Amino acid sequence: MIARLRQRLLALQRPPGITHGPDILPLGISAIDAALGGGLMLGALHEIAASGEVHLAAVTGFALGLVRLAAPAPRFFWIVEDMAVAESGALHGAGLDAFGLTPERHVTISVAHRRDLLWAMEEALRCRAVQAVIGEIRGGEIDSVAVRRLSHAAAESGALALLLRASPSNDASTAATRWIVHTSSAAGPHGPGAPRFVAHLVRNRRGPAGSWILEWSDSNGQFILATHTQPMATPALNRPHRQVA
Amino acid sequence: MRERDDARRRSAPLVITGKRGNVEILTAVDDAAEQLSLFPGLALAQARAMHPGIDVVAENTDADLALLESIADWCLRYTPLVACDAPDSLLLDISGCAHLYGGEQKLVADLRGRLENAGFAFSLAVAGTIGAAWAAAHHGEPASYACGEERAFLTPLPLSALRLPPTTLASLARVGLKCIGDIVDLPRAPLTARFGSEVLRQLNRALGHEHEPLTPRLPVAPYVAEQRFAEPIAREEDVLAITERLARRLQFAMERRGDGARRIELALFRTDGVVRRITAGTSRPLRNPGEIGALFVERLAALGDALDPGFGFDMARLSVLVAEPCQPEQIGGGEDAAELCRLVDRLSARLGARRVRRLVAQDSHIPELAEVALPAQTINDVAGWDVFHRYRKEAELSPRPLRLLTRPEPIETVAEVPDGPPLRFRWRRALHEVIAAEGPERIEGTWWSEHGGPARDYFRVEDKSGLRFWLFRAGLYRDLAQGAAAPTWFLHGTFA
Repeated sequence: MIARLRQRLLALQRPPGITHGPDILPLGISAIDAALGGGLMLGALHEIAASGEVHLAAVTGFALGLVRLAAPAPRFFWIVEDMAVAESGALHGAGLDAFGLTPERHVTISVAHRRDLLWAMEEALRCRAVQAVIGEIRGGEIDSVAVRRLSHAAAESGALALLLRASPSNDASTAATRWIVHTSSAAGPHGPGAPRFVAHLVRNRRGPAGSWILEWSDSNGQFILATHTQPMATPALNRPHRQVA
Repeated sequence: MRERDDARRRSAPLVITGKRGNVEILTAVDDAAEQLSLFPGLALAQARAMHPGIDVVAENTDADLALLESIADWCLRYTPLVACDAPDSLLLDISGCAHLYGGEQKLVADLRGRLENAGFAFSLAVAGTIGAAWAAAHHGEPASYACGEERAFLTPLPLSALRLPPTTLASLARVGLKCIGDIVDLPRAPLTARFGSEVLRQLNRALGHEHEPLTPRLPVAPYVAEQRFAEPIAREEDVLAITERLARRLQFAMERRGDGARRIELALFRTDGVVRRITAGTSRPLRNPGEIGALFVERLAALGDALDPGFGFDMARLSVLVAEPCQPEQIGGGEDAAELCRLVDRLSARLGARRVRRLVAQDSHIPELAEVALPAQTINDVAGWDVFHRYRKEAELSPRPLRLLTRPEPIETVAEVPDGPPLRFRWRRALHEVIAAEGPERIEGTWWSEHGGPARDYFRVEDKSGLRFWLFRAGLYRDLAQGAAAPTWFLHGTFA
């Protein structure tokens, strides 16, 4: 009886339309989910930096994997500076399709200035029809006020907000998590392997940091832990005479 | 128009000159010069000989035309049907508009007052036909003539008032026909036989026997709402408030016909005669005033200081340039689709429609042509990807890169000849050692086209540090014997 009343009270205290606490996006890997307190927090900003510019493709893959997990057929916006498109290429529809994302539910916005990028991200985040917003910036400082605004906008709609960077930065940021990602060798005897990344969780507001080697599995559309398939310390394929399965 | 520089010459009579054929002649003269009996058409050398002190300025037809067009824009405040009749005339169709000013007389008075304030010398005439109005303004007594009076006042005017080519005028003059009255009652068949059909057509048009179409400079919008202000407005908030109020008026008109706006223009008439035109596009037919207002919030924000209200705007006009039938509810979308459209509109209004794009699959097997990014506003339904998806599954297409470079970048490679993958390559000055490769996947050039380019052999390679690239060799070694260019290598994309 008391418990039922408590539940009713709890329901009344909640403002309408808002569910209990922020939604969580589990990555499906228990070690990471435990560190993140259940999974990646939706409705918050996450920062993913490439350890160097050449690793931007890996960062894109990691981010798109998260987007893919966020919804069955997520509608996502990719907002990028003109420079970045010229340097690193634009998202390729055929590649998106292979990644399990539907290209027709994707909108690309190219902007000339950093200011416009942050504004467009904020606008897209405030829209309830958008499940994920990815902003990609080349380098340089980013205004902490802008980051806080993005976090607020994401919290309003509960969308997944990702900020990609071409290189790690040290500036103070209110992002919920901060990752540094670089690509990892996945080559086997039959050629290049599946998308594989080393993901360092360097900042986490809800738990410890950590490092994992993840692989994106196209067939079932999720991340799998690749640590056990290949040791991280020595890239075995540097020595072709020693075949490592 | 050039400013005259020093005070001494300011008092000198001013003439404008231009080259006609091989002769420099006067094209326009000011009042002082006219009193010296200089007139347009006189040779410059002759004018100089008569009055060495005149100030001579070369004509600038481009600037004249630009000025005429800006005046035409400004005249949109009276009627949407304004046509430029270069070099020096404007035609306004004021049928149905005069009552807004309280009658023709008041409209003319208003126009006269404003043009005088702006410092223009002009002559205004109102008549039932374009030809009659033109004749009255250029040759007769500028005034207002009712329909049916044309014949009476055209009779004494010279034939040049009929807008005839000079050669026709000359041949008419040769036989002593100088006034319109001379030909008005002549038998028509011989007149046409001798001087061509142009004479009769112009006469009929001036008299109102034949319809003369007016080609407006700007297309006439299907829906227009406007507002004049007793006191000019300058603040952005006021402009936005008035935009919304005008949009509300348009809403009723559009609802009645079941239309929605796809392209909207806000014209702001500045007190000094400058007209600011701001357009915004929408991704679906729109008639909600709040949403239309929101588009202009972004447009004005993007303009920033470029709006430049000066001493304020004394009139605003909102016109729907393109309207489309508007379904009460979007099919298959619901609330989400509507919200997405709003977002796309807002982003496109602020950043420009070309910057907000969606990918559309194309019917091509060349990777860079297989898709095209089109403005998200213009495409409501992105089709083609499900077909591609099925094709990719059935054909077991090898993996495609996540990011494709805007154009393939040439790389230096060491590769096995003739068909092997590269062993190492240099891209953007960095050397990559290839440890694994997959391929080749041959993509033939478009052999049916001249600019098809050679066949490409694509390889998916992974380098020592784990970076995965999409490379291709353009051209085949076996074609070398037939005189083809040596194959070259390119990097086209990157895999995650």
